[in-house]
Amino acid sequence: MLATIVTKTFLDRWKGVAIGAVALAVMFFFGMAVYRDIDLAVYTDLPEAMRSIMNIPADADVGALAYGAIYSSYGALTLASLALSMGSASIAGEERKGTMGLLLGNPKSRTHVLVSKATNIVLLSALGAAILWLAGVVVPDLLNVDVTGVYVGALVFHIFVIAVFHGFLAMAVGGWTGKNSLASGVTVGVMVISFFAVGLLPLIDSLKNGVKAFPWYYYNGSDPHVNGIDWGHLAVLFVGIAVLAVVALVGVNRRDLRGQTTRVSLVDRLRANPTTKKMVDRLAGSARVSRIWVKTASENQGILIVVAYVMFVMMGLLIGPLYTFIDETLISLTDAFPEELLAMLGGGDMSTPEGFYQIETFGLMTPIAFMVVTVLIGARALAGEEANRTMGLLLANPIKRSSVVLEKTVAMIVQAAVVAVALFAGVVGGSMIGGLGMSPVNIAAATLLGMLLGLVFGALALAFSAATGRTRVAVYGTIGTALALYLANGFLPFSEGLEGLAKWTPFHYYLSSDPLLNGMNWGHAAVLLSLFGVLVVAAVMLFDRRDLRQSS
Amino acid sequence: MTDQIAIHTEGLTKHYGDFPALVDLNLDVGVGEIFGFLGPNGAGKTTMIRTILDEIRPTSGLASILGMDSHLQSVEIRDHIGYVPGDLAMYPNLTGKDTLTYFANLRGGVDWGFVDSLAERLDADLGKKVGDLSSGNRQKVGLIQAFMNKPDVLIMDEPSSGLDPLVQREFQTMMREVASDGRTVFLSSHTLSEVQRVADRVGIIRHGRLIAVEGVSDLRSKAIRTINLYFAEPVDGAVLADLPGVREVNVEDHHVTLSFDGQMETLLKVVTERYSLLDITTHEANLEEIFLTYYEDVSA
Repeated sequence: MLATIVTKTFLDRWKGVAIGAVALAVMFFFGMAVYRDIDLAVYTDLPEAMRSIMNIPADADVGALAYGAIYSSYGALTLASLALSMGSASIAGEERKGTMGLLLGNPKSRTHVLVSKATNIVLLSALGAAILWLAGVVVPDLLNVDVTGVYVGALVFHIFVIAVFHGFLAMAVGGWTGKNSLASGVTVGVMVISFFAVGLLPLIDSLKNGVKAFPWYYYNGSDPHVNGIDWGHLAVLFVGIAVLAVVALVGVNRRDLRGQTTRVSLVDRLRANPTTKKMVDRLAGSARVSRIWVKTASENQGILIVVAYVMFVMMGLLIGPLYTFIDETLISLTDAFPEELLAMLGGGDMSTPEGFYQIETFGLMTPIAFMVVTVLIGARALAGEEANRTMGLLLANPIKRSSVVLEKTVAMIVQAAVVAVALFAGVVGGSMIGGLGMSPVNIAAATLLGMLLGLVFGALALAFSAATGRTRVAVYGTIGTALALYLANGFLPFSEGLEGLAKWTPFHYYLSSDPLLNGMNWGHAAVLLSLFGVLVVAAVMLFDRRDLRQSS
Repeated sequence: MTDQIAIHTEGLTKHYGDFPALVDLNLDVGVGEIFGFLGPNGAGKTTMIRTILDEIRPTSGLASILGMDSHLQSVEIRDHIGYVPGDLAMYPNLTGKDTLTYFANLRGGVDWGFVDSLAERLDADLGKKVGDLSSGNRQKVGLIQAFMNKPDVLIMDEPSSGLDPLVQREFQTMMREVASDGRTVFLSSHTLSEVQRVADRVGIIRHGRLIAVEGVSDLRSKAIRTINLYFAEPVDGAVLADLPGVREVNVEDHHVTLSFDGQMETLLKVVTERYSLLDITTHEANLEEIFLTYYEDVSA
């Protein structure tokens, strides 16, 4: 039985872990290939704060850079995130899905279930770590990079331990409260805060020792890729893991199991309150269900708010003042940046505010922000309703299938527009705060191009979703395609013969015209818009001719 | 039942890969009737319903509802139907009221007075989120959304699952009202007693094939009755066994059990002339027994 639960969870989860780890391995490959060919002063001359966060030593060589920057930050963050999602799903997730009762209908104790789930966190983290280790050993060989002095095994083992730690933390919170989202929320919070704290606190003399309060410190405070395994630090994490396991065990055995329930949101509370009931009823009730697109656009509000907030404050308002703050250092650095690398980050001259914004905000974060929103809607729009078995009910109403697709598309546009407004306002605000005098018209142009790019991939997700009715296919298919195209757009210019191919990727039509400097490139906008249109039409046609799926 | 046809299928066939889920189904359901569609799990009931609603497309054959082609005119058709899917799922984060508002908006409005009366009859709580309702209470919201537009054709796939007996009875009354309005009910079910109580005709489907369509009263008239006779004195079974319509006789001293499908009058005359009859009970075989007989016959 223990083996049964372990096997089932393993089979449910191994793909996600494998995909995550393989993606990291690919990133590691490309990263190392780039580091091999460029002047590393680009990195080693970065301000200390940035180097510290990116985990780059002052005397980094290619190997240390690749392992340090890619494995020890992205790698650890990714594996820890996968482990924490397993941890929060382990007990609380089964409760929310309503399957916990079924599971415990079998003659096995809660402790038994918990132990099986915990075993899985360990096994799957080990799987991810094993893939990383393999890539870490093979890639330098393939690329002829000398990595003597780098302890790959030690680094990967440290990553494995910190991943298990976060998995158990999520499991403990979930086990104690039965709340899935609380468990992942708290754990992500702990992870991100301690990640930044470990990067930044050592730079401030008076707070230097505070770093020891954060779990992340015991993972990479000893720089395991340079110094090998630090058993002392790991011992701290092992004790933490043991304590969390006990907490989870006690927590899950002491309380009432939760039934399958929906979340109670703030809106629900306002609706229950007689003074606010009437107004909220209109907004959250009748208005929200007035049309298919309105209902769809009103869903996923949580993620929309987070994305809009991040783009407005962190990627918008804060970047302006940041530019004025590190302006001097950067100007001296720009010469050292190879043009290709800059192009990959979105291009732009870092010594100008426009170039800085292009690299910091628009290069990578803006496409991601738009795509999070559009791909989510695109994938859930059709396939999600089929998986939840509501599509049959929806289509029992006198509406065409094509109208459903189009209304879902409108919802996607509306959500993307919300992000666009936040981004535009944030960047304009940041420019004003920093006194950078950037042109609002050009900011609008770059924002609009970003939104169009996001819509292209949203429509791709919609088309996948329309063709297959499977949310996973839509999400992974789109992310895979986007990643491949992004890398192609970034790396093709490195190759002399193939550089022309970059214009076959949608990313080319986003920033290659430097819209922050040159304003709108209507030709490029037209290309993205047509692509979006074609994909939506494809989605309509694909959805129209297919049998609806009955269940997930 | 009138001459008009509410649901019509012709050679309707649906294969999932190699698996024939529905084979050459020919069926006519008349306007104003309650048609029971009976079959065990996996017989093809849901596939048939999903096909005529254009959720899935037939491998061959065609279907029409109220004379409109189920694929080409699916949108027009859906103006006239109410639908309760099997294994009903709705939007867990919407309240019952929001759910109904959503569907009402998609249909261009609804008579809320009627919705309230339906909710009252079914004792439905529309203020709670659908996700927080028990399956029976969720089913009520599903029923209301199907009935609320007073559709010409109601298509329901296992609609009474999860409903308690009181609500089931109210639901049956509601179906009869729809039929007496001249509207049509197509009721898929494996609960035979329910179909027996409300349906005018039943179709029996198995392994994707329609194996019989009968009026419920015809089915019943075919039915063999079980009769218990209690006498003051011991009786001779052989006398009874010779009577027309007597199939099986079982004598236990003063008590006789007969399987009988002949004239009641003849039986009583013979019995009362010869013996002193103390008591008699008789009951019709229900559809369940007939249904099982059918199945055993067909599968044999």
